[in-house]
Amino acid sequence: MSRLRRATLFRIGLRANLLQATWNFERQQGLGWAFALAPALRALYPDRAERVDRLAEHTAYFNTQPTLASIALGAAARLEEERSQGLGGDAEGMARLKSVLGSTLAAVGDRLFWFTLRPFAAVLGVLLAMVNREPLMGAAAMWAMYAIPHLVLRFTGVGWGYREGPGILSGAFRVRLERAMRWIAVVGCALLGILLAWALAPAGEPRAIEVQSALAGGLGLGLLTAQRARPSPTRWALALGILALGLVLLRRGA
Amino acid sequence: MIGPLLGTLLAGGLAALDATPVAQTLVSQPLVTAALLGLAWGDWPTALAVGTVLQILAASTLPIGARTPEEYSVGGVAGTGVALLLAAAAPFEHMRQAAALVGTLVGMTAATLHVPVVRWQRRQNEGLARWCEASLRAGNEAALTHAQWAAVAMAFALGVAACGAWLALAHSASAMIERESLRIAGVWHLLQPFWLGFGIAQLLHAFVQRRLERAGVFAAALVAAWLVIVAGAP
Repeated sequence: MSRLRRATLFRIGLRANLLQATWNFERQQGLGWAFALAPALRALYPDRAERVDRLAEHTAYFNTQPTLASIALGAAARLEEERSQGLGGDAEGMARLKSVLGSTLAAVGDRLFWFTLRPFAAVLGVLLAMVNREPLMGAAAMWAMYAIPHLVLRFTGVGWGYREGPGILSGAFRVRLERAMRWIAVVGCALLGILLAWALAPAGEPRAIEVQSALAGGLGLGLLTAQRARPSPTRWALALGILALGLVLLRRGA
Repeated sequence: MIGPLLGTLLAGGLAALDATPVAQTLVSQPLVTAALLGLAWGDWPTALAVGTVLQILAASTLPIGARTPEEYSVGGVAGTGVALLLAAAAPFEHMRQAAALVGTLVGMTAATLHVPVVRWQRRQNEGLARWCEASLRAGNEAALTHAQWAAVAMAFALGVAACGAWLALAHSASAMIERESLRIAGVWHLLQPFWLGFGIAQLLHAFVQRRLERAGVFAAALVAAWLVIVAGAP
């Protein structure tokens, strides 16, 4: 019979919001992981010495994409439950579970959340802000587009991982995620086209030729620099901005 | 002006929290913080101008693995805050545009310069982690909670301090910026579309991923939207 109640799983989800609070180069999310899992350990290990021992064990290295970490937390809570009941599972098994789920969830989550959903939400937000000429609606749409799936997965992912265990990432779920990512990227391309069209002629009034040329120049240079990961887009944009401003200010006496 | 200034400092701290230590819901992204600061300062156009450019650039900056990317959480608040502070000094269109350019540059610079601060913070977290594990082994169960909240407090304080420093710097340079505002506004006229195009290209590259049909979707949407926008205009 299951010993972890829904309230405990919810508390794990709540604490997962601090998964990265003590992120560091040595253990990465290790401390946050132990902090999130603490409610489960409190329920499973009434003996204080044993509980503290387990907590210390869980502070070891862990890293994954923070939203999908909830699934790994649920699966780990399930394994801890079996371990506490003497139904199998040991420190080595737990380390293996963390390692496998950490890397698999990172591979899926980084692509879904960082590479796809976050840029998509940003494009949608910027487009709405530019069309409405005020940033409030765009900001709200951008936040909702990302935060709703992020928070839903963060809270429900714990129960999901707890019920399904490490097998959750096999089969249909992964196929559905891949399909979702493809479609988000395609719609993102369409939104970028609309954004560029609006930037060229906001509200139907084509902008001056020098403004359109500057936009085209940025687009061209952006496509060239995007072929290399370093230096970052920010450094390119910053360097060119400082250069342009410097040239104009230096022509003071001319 | 004290109220909006304090609000900007608070936003800096909260954005630094949302970026990595707490929740990560995108509240810390430049467009969201620009909307909130625009509301606090009562100046939508300046907040929109800075927020959209910084957001487009921030969207192609990703925290993958152990990489420490540019901190647009603090950068967004510092940049928009500086622009709003400068724009509030003189109610002219050219001053607003000059403020937007300086704010955008400050946003990008703050985002870049905050990276070593975040690295330092993460090294402090290593010390916290070691202390926490030793305390746990000694039987102190509460050490975990204390370590978490100490790290949260440190991130908040660093976010507030960074935004405060940039606002102070902008305030001290405001007379010079006001004097040169006409020429700076002229640069903004060209740099804003340039940066927008640059950011759109980065995002396009991320979405297309060398797939011809996606590039086709972009081109078709561009042409169709342009026709609809221009033909639909009064």
